[in-house]
Amino acid sequence: MTPIIETRDLVKRYDGELAVAGIDLTVGPGEIYGLVGPNGAGKTTTMRILATLLAPTAGEARVCGIDVTADPVEVRRRIGYMPDFYGVYDDLRVWEYLDFFARCYSVPAGRRAGMIGELLEIVGLAEKRDSYVEALSRGMRQRLCLAHTLVHDPQLLILDEPASGLDPRARVEMREILRELRGMGKTILVSSHILSEVAELCTSVGIIDRGRLLRSGQIAEIERSLRATALLRIDVLSDGEAAISWLGTDPRVGDVLAVSSEAGMTRLEVPFDGPADEQAAMLQGMIAAGHTVSSFSQATSDLEEIFLKVTGNDEETAA
Amino acid sequence: MTATTLPSQRLSGLREFGSSVVTIMSKELRSRFRGRRAFVVLTLYLGILALIAYGAYISAVPAASQPGLPEPDGSNVGAANASAIVGQAIFAMLSVFQLMLVAFLAPAFTTGAISLEREKATLDLLITTPLRPGAIVVGKLLSALAFVVLMIVAGIPVSALVLMYGGAAVQDIVRAQIVLFAAAIGFGVIGLFCSALTKRTQSATVVAYSTVLFLTVGTFFIWRLWTAGLAGTVAEPFGPANRAPEQLLYLNPAIAMVEIVADTEITTGDMGKIMAEVRGTGGIQCSGDVCFTDTEGGGAIIPVEGKPGVFADCPPNARCAAPPVQTVFDPRPVETGHFLPRFTLTFAGLSLLLTLASMRLVVPAGPGFRLRRRNPAEAPETGL
Repeated sequence: MTPIIETRDLVKRYDGELAVAGIDLTVGPGEIYGLVGPNGAGKTTTMRILATLLAPTAGEARVCGIDVTADPVEVRRRIGYMPDFYGVYDDLRVWEYLDFFARCYSVPAGRRAGMIGELLEIVGLAEKRDSYVEALSRGMRQRLCLAHTLVHDPQLLILDEPASGLDPRARVEMREILRELRGMGKTILVSSHILSEVAELCTSVGIIDRGRLLRSGQIAEIERSLRATALLRIDVLSDGEAAISWLGTDPRVGDVLAVSSEAGMTRLEVPFDGPADEQAAMLQGMIAAGHTVSSFSQATSDLEEIFLKVTGNDEETAA
Repeated sequence: MTATTLPSQRLSGLREFGSSVVTIMSKELRSRFRGRRAFVVLTLYLGILALIAYGAYISAVPAASQPGLPEPDGSNVGAANASAIVGQAIFAMLSVFQLMLVAFLAPAFTTGAISLEREKATLDLLITTPLRPGAIVVGKLLSALAFVVLMIVAGIPVSALVLMYGGAAVQDIVRAQIVLFAAAIGFGVIGLFCSALTKRTQSATVVAYSTVLFLTVGTFFIWRLWTAGLAGTVAEPFGPANRAPEQLLYLNPAIAMVEIVADTEITTGDMGKIMAEVRGTGGIQCSGDVCFTDTEGGGAIIPVEGKPGVFADCPPNARCAAPPVQTVFDPRPVETGHFLPRFTLTFAGLSLLLTLASMRLVVPAGPGFRLRRRNPAEAPETGL
């Protein structure tokens, strides 16, 4: 079966600066693929190339087997694209807005009215049908924009940070809608800079940084590979220095860092290269060695940290 | 691919293009004509137009009601021309005012067409639809021009008032409308091109109005300076050799309009003087085979040195018929309606070029993307 998205050695250079540095991305039909990375990693550039808004400097990008530079119009018929930053036509009513885009995609007049009703139902804007777009809240506009990507029933949705700038409630609503679309069998490429946001929604995830795809695959695999270099937070009531030197003998432990030391308690941050059962075994060994451990947990490191770690590893292996 | 399928393909492509244009137009017109604004503007415009017609009437009546100056044969054309003088004055005022209005309004409706979409970040959504950039540009242009055209058309009844008085014929009014339409389209396209060229509407507006100013005023001044520079360097006093290339003025809608108005003037007026300069008749008016000069003093006819057949002793402000004149100063007959077709064609060509260029500019991805979908018929060279 042809993959819905396929890029090979995709490169995009802006004035000599490399935004995308050779990305090979493959997304199969029905997948929800999350592109995760910090700002400026190349997520938006990749998506804009796939949405036929940018021509790649080198390499190939295909959507449904169609080259995006050779036949952009055919690609456009098959995708729904929602940019990370966009405006709406303020002076139109909600239904007029969707009607306009439906006409842009040559949806026959007879089908438009019914389809607009269904779409508004899906995104929860049914009662806003006759409101002016300018009167909608940010979250509602986001959902309206999502609805506009669906007017021509595309095979692929490309959603660039669909939850950015939304309050928690609107985020939840957006996630519910995406889940519903997944149920409708759409292939979705979604980007985010927050891993946890896409983790529960996506079937596959790609981690992207500085224009390179560092990890790509099933969400479980990625999580496992991330957990392999977990950052442990250990509070020790006994001598902190002794604990550090004891940990230093373990080959799986990286450079231990004493974060704070007050009221007789030392907090250590310990990079540990091993799964959960090995972590537990190390804790047992630590206690057996006479260290008083009051707390042992996996530090919820933010994404930036994980990226630094992942990029660091990749550079090492590359060297 | 057989040859028979090609026309039908082209036809369906054309139909698709047409419906895309209609899609853009209906959306644009929907927001433009929403609310009362458009109707208020139109009413205001027609009100001003009517006031100007009335003002021209008021100011022309005293001159027209003066007893006419006696012709050499004793007749009095002044009285007979009274109505025509009023009609011509109204026609002149209305035509010039309408052209000024078009020059102001046409770019105003288009300078935001593309750049505003960029500023409000709505262009990406539009570009990712299968609409062709050409259809987007043409749809935007037509919807923007629709209102200007509506204003011009709505003004025709006011211009037709002239027909009651005479002084300008139906074909003069038609000619004036042609200039207005050509100018509206040309200026609209200039605004659109600037809008596609620049990122911000503000800079598009500045560039567009500078261009309009250059075309309407700048070209004429350059032409004058150029001509002044040539003065004295050429032996023959009349004819094209001592003037800057008149092609420069084909870009100027004002000259085309001035010519139309000048051709309706009964005695040489302001417009006629401009045209005399442009035509190189140097203030010499020819009527049939009779030519005479106008001086700054107000139309007295004076003899020109060394030229036979021109008489003196004509009272000031008189229209004097000359005795049979053998030699005229510029023997070419004055060609009326010279600039109208040339200007119209030039502006049509300019509009077409700039529209095509705008289409190219709207394509977001640069030369990597094609304007048109590859025609399967011209795809890989098989069967050669």
